[in-house]
Amino acid sequence: MREPRNPFRLRASEHIESDETFVRLFSPEVLDMLSTPNIWERPQIIRSAPGGGKTSLLRLFTPSSLRTIYALRTREYTKDLFKSLSALGAMDDSGPCVLGAFLSCGHSFATLEDLDLDDGRKRRLFLSLLNARITLSTLRGVLDLRQKDFSELAAVSLAKGSSTTKLPDGILDATGPSLYEWAQDLERTVCEALDSFLPLSESSLPGHDSLVALSMLSADGLLFEGSSVAQRVLVMLDDIHRLTPKQREWLLDAIFSLRSSVGIWVAERLEALTVDELLSQGVSQGRDYGGVVPIEDYWRGRVSKFEKMISSVADRRTRDTREVEIGRFADCLQDTLDGDEWQSVYQRGISIVTDRVKQRATGHSEFTAWISEREKGSGTPRERLLAWRTLEILVERELRKTPDFFELDTADLEQKDASDVRVAAELFIAREFGLPYYYGLSRLACMASSNIEQFLWMSGDIFEECVSAALLKRATQLAPPDQERILRKSIKAVWKELPQRVRYGTQVMRLLESIGKLAKWETEKPNAPYAPGVSGVAILMSDRDKLKNALQRPSNDGLALLAEVIASCIAHNLLEVKLDYKCKGQYWMVMYLNRMLCVHFNLPLQYGGWREKRLLDLLDWLAKGFVPPSGRSGFVP
Amino acid sequence: MRRGDACSDFWKEYLAGQNRNVLLILGLGFDPRMCVGLRMLSEAEVSCVKECLLIKYNEGANSPSREYGHLVRNNQNTMFSLMNGKGIIREIDVPMLSNDGRRIGSRRASDAIGGDIIKRFDNIVVDISSMPRGIYFPILAKLLSLFDAQAADGTSAPSANLHVLVAEQVSVDEKIQEEGIDDHADYMHGFSSDLVRESTASVPKIWIPVLGEGKEAQLRILHDHVVPHEICPVLPSPSVNPRRADDLVAEYRELLFDRLRVEPANFIYASEWNPFEVYRQIYRTVERYNDALEALGKCKVVVSALSSKLLSVGALLAAYEAKRNNFMVGISHVETPGYRIQGQIDSCNPEMCSLWVAGECYNA
Repeated sequence: MREPRNPFRLRASEHIESDETFVRLFSPEVLDMLSTPNIWERPQIIRSAPGGGKTSLLRLFTPSSLRTIYALRTREYTKDLFKSLSALGAMDDSGPCVLGAFLSCGHSFATLEDLDLDDGRKRRLFLSLLNARITLSTLRGVLDLRQKDFSELAAVSLAKGSSTTKLPDGILDATGPSLYEWAQDLERTVCEALDSFLPLSESSLPGHDSLVALSMLSADGLLFEGSSVAQRVLVMLDDIHRLTPKQREWLLDAIFSLRSSVGIWVAERLEALTVDELLSQGVSQGRDYGGVVPIEDYWRGRVSKFEKMISSVADRRTRDTREVEIGRFADCLQDTLDGDEWQSVYQRGISIVTDRVKQRATGHSEFTAWISEREKGSGTPRERLLAWRTLEILVERELRKTPDFFELDTADLEQKDASDVRVAAELFIAREFGLPYYYGLSRLACMASSNIEQFLWMSGDIFEECVSAALLKRATQLAPPDQERILRKSIKAVWKELPQRVRYGTQVMRLLESIGKLAKWETEKPNAPYAPGVSGVAILMSDRDKLKNALQRPSNDGLALLAEVIASCIAHNLLEVKLDYKCKGQYWMVMYLNRMLCVHFNLPLQYGGWREKRLLDLLDWLAKGFVPPSGRSGFVP
Repeated sequence: MRRGDACSDFWKEYLAGQNRNVLLILGLGFDPRMCVGLRMLSEAEVSCVKECLLIKYNEGANSPSREYGHLVRNNQNTMFSLMNGKGIIREIDVPMLSNDGRRIGSRRASDAIGGDIIKRFDNIVVDISSMPRGIYFPILAKLLSLFDAQAADGTSAPSANLHVLVAEQVSVDEKIQEEGIDDHADYMHGFSSDLVRESTASVPKIWIPVLGEGKEAQLRILHDHVVPHEICPVLPSPSVNPRRADDLVAEYRELLFDRLRVEPANFIYASEWNPFEVYRQIYRTVERYNDALEALGKCKVVVSALSSKLLSVGALLAAYEAKRNNFMVGISHVETPGYRIQGQIDSCNPEMCSLWVAGECYNA
């Protein structure tokens, strides 16, 4: 295939063919999330919404990636990666220490469920197919790690006298070719039975009672030319969400009951969890028998780290483009509005807002000191406009309070002039005077909502324009209005596809649109009561329990559907959830909009503001959408 | 293959005075073209259709297609009146979704075709006009496999014939649009075994999508599913609109060239009118890639049909034939929860096409 013109378009790791390209684009900061004890000993569940980076993380531990990193360990772009992997114990100065066998569970496993067999038989068939595939993948991994081709399979063997001596029926001896032949035949038998148009012959189907492959293929038992292959064997099972719920349970039970010395990592989308689990703490904590790596949750708690990581990801892709030479992705994004072209807008803005503030303060002598302070007018025109607009919000707030007849002094102003009010003022100014708001790397990182793929597609559209500009010999740095235009267009396209892309898509869209419209309505109140703005809603934890119960005992009140719709939003990272949030003496389940949707609804990108809602309100939104209460005056101009 | 007047003439001539024993397989849906084929057969020979196997596919409780229950009932009434007293009607329910929401339609559709069917009828006609791809592909593949099984049996040459009917009308196709698509693709039942095996994981994979308009989301999902080493898109050329192939390339420019990095030399061209041309082109591609990659253990080929029903049948025939000849071939497909009529269908005057895909004409 051709080399990519825009490396940001290479999203899923499966589509990056060359290992060198893959490791060059991989940012070592991602590995920080694995820095927990016992990652090799205890099974790990890596979980995220689509595009969180699960498969890329697993691919890094495959033999070909590790070999490539080791070979390029002195190069600038792989030095840090080598260091991070060494710290984790995945490699050392002599080479990779891990034999990683990667297996996708996306293919054919779920089809087993459709066979006309009892559950016990299906479970045995499922485990036998898993055993076959784990064996095949591990044997291929051994050859890959040793850089040998298939003809050298005979050099692979299992150690005599180790815990691996009990081989399943059908394996002639403990050599590579026998193991391979056994696994290949087993897999072929199951797959052909599944695919056949003819009736199933049950007696010809194999069956296993456990994940015997994990016992066979331990690090101390697996040899190449008589010596150990690696210090550790790691089996990585991807796409677990594609199994049926029953199969997923069988798999996890088999893994945890085996207590194998082989490391096991499983990766799944949030959608694999039941609605009950999605609405529960299970999202972040998981079952107590293994470690859970919830990718988005990890980044949400480390905002600056996420920004650093995606900045590194973006820079690696920027440098990888063949068409133009751009050093850093941040260089493509102009991140100030202090250019000459904006000065007249600011001057006009200052004049309009000043007049408005003075008019609003007419007859209210308590604001005299505040207005005088602003009239002293220090700073750039942009800063002055921001200061006046902040003052307008503060005046509005004071006017809505019960009058206390005390004059407000400059100390009061200083105290009330907080950063959240300034953020709200900036958003108001942007809206009133047609200034861009969604621009710059930092805000782009916020818009990604802790999801790497979301960041890549938004950045990809921006980078596309930079590459085009470079080809036309124009400046590659995009001005803020261009950045905002591109982002709005990309996000609108995603929004339009939503009904097609997610489960309960139409209802999901209606719920999100209602939350977005409510948030906009609340955010635009002239006194900005929830500065910097509202971008989510919350239900009582007790109402959350009602939703969970509705799934157990479906009724006609619509709660079960609402639970499904909210779960679908969480699974696709469209709503970011905080459980047990204490406020006003009660506990809440807060649901924030994905930050890209904040762009769609003209909301601030900061978290914080939310409005409490009853389940009845949400049900109403599902049916009719949000309707703003009538009779409010004094909207933001 | 016959189309238009030549199609109805063919059936008149083929059925006249022959006392043919015809099984018609129909999909029960809201498409106004559902009964056009049955009407044509009835006009050719009043009581030739001895049995009508009605596939009642159920797209699930949330399917947008459920809005058109009244149109489905109209079609069913028309079918009853056309069949009235002339043959029996057998209905088979085909659920598209399992209780846990998985796609099971293709396996269930294949199961709907009993093994004795080709012994009971001398002509099996599958009218795919109101069937989704996920239903008619496995039905046709199952029938073809039954024909092959009988031939391989050696006891008797297959005496039955297999025909495919399609009522084509572009303006109706444009009105009936998929609403929503699944977030992942799957291999069609009967076309997965070689593709999903871990033991063939290192064999190069070639993907042949037959392109049609407005399918970018499907293409992306299919590509994520297949993860091919090489892509050979099929473009319709020649076609009524001489710029259609160019328009398709323009429509998918970013996807094909920036994301999927398709080599421009890999495009395959096939006539938009002739499914057998699509069949030939795809089959030749399968053969050539396998020859070229013999040293690497040959290759796996995945076909995806995203174009008209007629061309999709060509793609299916190529995949089936290649699989029969022991090439590793699969069909990757992404399902839709249902369909919606955009606006109103003002008139329904489709052109009938008939393909004779197995039987007497090939036995010689």
